[in-house]
Amino acid sequence: MKKLLYTLFILMPFFTMAQTVDRTKAPAPGKAPLIQVGNPVKYTLANGLQVFVVKNKKQPRVAATLALDLDGFIEGDKAGVAGMSGQLLKRGTTTKSKAVLDENIEFLGGSLETSSQTAFVSALKNNFAQSFALMAEVVLHPALSNDELEKVKKQTLSAIASSKDNADAIANNVLKKLVYGASHPYGEITTEKTVNNVSLQDVKNFYNTYWKPNIAYLVFVGDIEPIEAKNLADKYFGKWAKGNVANVNFPKPVNPAQTYIAIVDRPASVQSVVNVATTVNLEQGGSNVIASNVMNNILGGGFSGRLFNNLREKHGFTYGAYSKLNPDRQVGFFSAESSVRNEKTDSAIQEILHEINVIREEKVGDAELSRMKNYLTGGFARSLENPATIANFALNVARYKMPADYYQKYLANLAAVDAQKVQDAAKALLNPAKMHIVIVGNSKQIAAGLEKYGPIKYFDFEGNEVAAPKAAKVDLTPEVLLEKVVKAAGGKEAITAIKDIQLKGTASVMGQNLEMKQTLVLPGNALTVMSMGGMAVTRQAVIDGKYTVSQQGMETPITDEIKEGLDESALLIPELSYIANGYKLKVGGVEKVEGKDAIDLEVTSPSGKVTHRFYDAISFLLVKTAKSQEVPGRGTVTQQQFFKAYQQVNGVQLPSQTLIDMGQLKINVNYNEIKANQGLKTTDLK
Amino acid sequence: MQKKSILFFICSLIFSKSMLFGQTIQFEKFTLPNGLKVILHEDHSAPVVAVTALYHVGSKNEDTARTGFAHFFEHLLFEGSENIKRGEFDKYVTNAGGVLNANTTQDRTFYYELLPSNQVDLGLWLESERMMHAKIEQVGVNTQREVVKEEKRMRMDNRPYGSFLTEMLKRAYKVHPYRWAPIGSMEHLNAAKLEEFITFYKTYYVPNNCVLSIAGDFDKADLKKKIESYFAPIPKGAPIVKPNIIEPPLGAEVRATIEDNVQLEGVFQAYRAPKQGGDEYYAFNVLSNILSGGESSRMNKTLVDNKQLAAAVQSVPFFNEDNGLFIALAIANMGVKADVLETNMDSVISELKSGLVGEREFQKVKNQITTELVKSKATMAGIAENLANFEVYFGDANLVNTELEKYNKVTREDVLKVAKKYLNKDNRVVIYYVPKAKSK
Repeated sequence: MKKLLYTLFILMPFFTMAQTVDRTKAPAPGKAPLIQVGNPVKYTLANGLQVFVVKNKKQPRVAATLALDLDGFIEGDKAGVAGMSGQLLKRGTTTKSKAVLDENIEFLGGSLETSSQTAFVSALKNNFAQSFALMAEVVLHPALSNDELEKVKKQTLSAIASSKDNADAIANNVLKKLVYGASHPYGEITTEKTVNNVSLQDVKNFYNTYWKPNIAYLVFVGDIEPIEAKNLADKYFGKWAKGNVANVNFPKPVNPAQTYIAIVDRPASVQSVVNVATTVNLEQGGSNVIASNVMNNILGGGFSGRLFNNLREKHGFTYGAYSKLNPDRQVGFFSAESSVRNEKTDSAIQEILHEINVIREEKVGDAELSRMKNYLTGGFARSLENPATIANFALNVARYKMPADYYQKYLANLAAVDAQKVQDAAKALLNPAKMHIVIVGNSKQIAAGLEKYGPIKYFDFEGNEVAAPKAAKVDLTPEVLLEKVVKAAGGKEAITAIKDIQLKGTASVMGQNLEMKQTLVLPGNALTVMSMGGMAVTRQAVIDGKYTVSQQGMETPITDEIKEGLDESALLIPELSYIANGYKLKVGGVEKVEGKDAIDLEVTSPSGKVTHRFYDAISFLLVKTAKSQEVPGRGTVTQQQFFKAYQQVNGVQLPSQTLIDMGQLKINVNYNEIKANQGLKTTDLK
Repeated sequence: MQKKSILFFICSLIFSKSMLFGQTIQFEKFTLPNGLKVILHEDHSAPVVAVTALYHVGSKNEDTARTGFAHFFEHLLFEGSENIKRGEFDKYVTNAGGVLNANTTQDRTFYYELLPSNQVDLGLWLESERMMHAKIEQVGVNTQREVVKEEKRMRMDNRPYGSFLTEMLKRAYKVHPYRWAPIGSMEHLNAAKLEEFITFYKTYYVPNNCVLSIAGDFDKADLKKKIESYFAPIPKGAPIVKPNIIEPPLGAEVRATIEDNVQLEGVFQAYRAPKQGGDEYYAFNVLSNILSGGESSRMNKTLVDNKQLAAAVQSVPFFNEDNGLFIALAIANMGVKADVLETNMDSVISELKSGLVGEREFQKVKNQITTELVKSKATMAGIAENLANFEVYFGDANLVNTELEKYNKVTREDVLKVAKKYLNKDNRVVIYYVPKAKSK
């Protein structure tokens, strides 16, 4: 025996040294730790107050939270009354001034916090009972004095004033107002005006209406015996009188009919705070919450989310990019957000929408899915380090009527989430055609180009719509403007002298190149063909009064609207014939197009279709057109077309490059051959 | 009923006595031949582990023409290593169900992974890869340079009062490298060549400049063997040359007014303060709590509540390895001018110099500190970081258990003494923040 020990002793250091690891790959995990989710001890007092106790002796501390089960309050023109009432609770009781109360709790080394619907106290174990008594005093016998209300109001006003400069605070305010609507409790904004409307009576009404034991939970967590906690609850809250509190369901906010851009102009900004947001139909504990949560984490959860990897790691637009998804029984919320440098605002929105589309349209790969499930499993395990987690679980189960074993089964249900469920969740929750895109930033530097995502609206920091910060008005009649445009294009004589014209080039769409050929035989005949390897992909024509449109050989039924469009395509310079053809014209303001001033002409066709045509303010050449159209299933889509690289052909200025921009889809057209007056006939249009 | 509560009271007294001793954090400390210090705290109360690495390098170690390097490395060292592909570092952690991050101060850079306990090996592998052969490449430098610029825009340029630390430090120090903030200069980062980054890595990211502190649910004997396997092969680096720069006294009050995108005026004062760890340091922390620890603290009670001059007040003991700062700041209420606010701040502060703090107030602050020290040890991450900090700064990881005694030793006279010695006009910088439009 002795000898054996001796041998082992000799061998041991050698053995340790010989143990080498394979550095080339990550070490395998050990056996999965057993994760047990405990249940708190529960009591219900005679007045309906529900008491939960989670005993945990790891540290000599105890905390107690009293929480009202309410989703919110409609405050209207007194927005802020609930929050201020919550603050007032701990600003003195009927027997203790605020100063005495503060000193008493802090002398115990404890902390005491109140909000509109919670009260919280924590202290070391030996001081807990006394601290708890102070919490009860605050909840049951608040002074609610006018002096203290005035102080709270003053501080609230200062906080509002200071938030006017904080881009994130502005973004939060405007976002919630636009997403939930001003009349939903989640969308109400506290302003200087609403704060000043609040009276002491309002505070008292609020307190007397909502602070009732029968809608409250009292949760103890820490180094305390359940019976000890129950005795404390009985002693201090047993006599609290119950009362009726109406259960309110608020009307569900409606998502916008089409995606739009909301800009809050903040000229000092060096970054744009971008939020792409929507309400979602997702309740706490709902059957699709776990899959939805996996989906959201793949999209924008932390450092491994796609948004972070795209916007920060791949493009360096930002310090961070994340998405969040909050289930809520009233109305859920989703937002993808990032603070990006000014010049990357457009690109960032593009990439965020791209990632939303990808997670809707493509199934997540196995590796990414299992990584995210592992992440959430690990997060669940790690959350149990905090004893309050068990209490929160129990509170959620009770409040949201979740299955009693929801958290016990959570990990098994998480493991069962597959790629189909993730994609289903993305499709069910995220509709990129009906999003709020809220940007707080320097509008002068960022607004150009954003129309492609939808109409641009402007808001102040309180979320009220305001006029666009427009440049100087244009002092031109439509007739004068048309004259200048026709002259810039080469003049009426040169334009009408062109009898036929043919443009050949390439169109590149998402990395693919197509042949593009456009032929006009004037007046009134046109043929446009986009083809790939000699096969026509799209073909549209008006020849001798016959209209045809086909896509990959399939004929599209011809409507009056299509006829009008084809007729327009058979005009070399349509400005020459607008008035004669009965178009309505209106000169708008000046807008930047690719950094240069351009004059906006609103053109309404006889059928009522509106197009905006932008002419360079100096050269009067056409630089951009913009029109909106309904696309089934996607709402209104804005299409922009940019015209560049003008060439003179028989005395007429024609663009040799066009960019067609439909947000996600972009088509670049380059004409490398433009020939005029070759003597073509309509029979040549094939 | 009456009887019962008396009994309860007695019980709680007994508990309170055992409580102070029940908090002991057991740990083991050893040093590998390559100089790596290892601290282990084994605790099986939850299936989690915190793997942390503290490198004793901060912005004070930087070249004056290359400020921002230490913080830049905090970003760069997530780019990968010889065995970890670019962009994969955090994926391993996420895949394992963990989280990770890092932060940089003027004195040290701290990395951590919080993992489910069965993934502790992964933490060892990642940290040893980072130390052994991190990838320092141009592509990573370029990406992270943009990220750091965005971080600066977000944290400083785009946030009201966000530039205050930078503005404060450059006035509070004349020669010491504490005169710049960890974010550093973007021009310096732009100008830096790849070789300079490589040199910085080889100089400071060596085992003899690091403390590996691990707390949580593991088997210590087993973990020690694994630590040796992962870390022992990493070669020791050259000894670290510590900057030894003595900052002369400030000599006279320094004042400045900064125009910023703010609505409310702000007063930021910084008093030169002693280095951390000495008796004066603990007395100063007590003093700071007297001024701004909680609602009943003097600055809160007087400036925010009674006089309603301030929307928010804060005092920050900004202590460091070398001489630190004691920062007192207040954001004015609407319509209150900075000079009025400052006069009132000064009278609260000078009260501390005119006599001893009351006994009950003094006891209150001690009680608050006792609670805070317990709270700081609530998580494995907190324990691991505390152990590493104490070891690096004071050479005594056991302060995690004994620090409270240091506070208990502080007397009311000590507080009066530091107040009189340090809270003087010729020892401070005062910066006003005023709205841009209004200053004209």
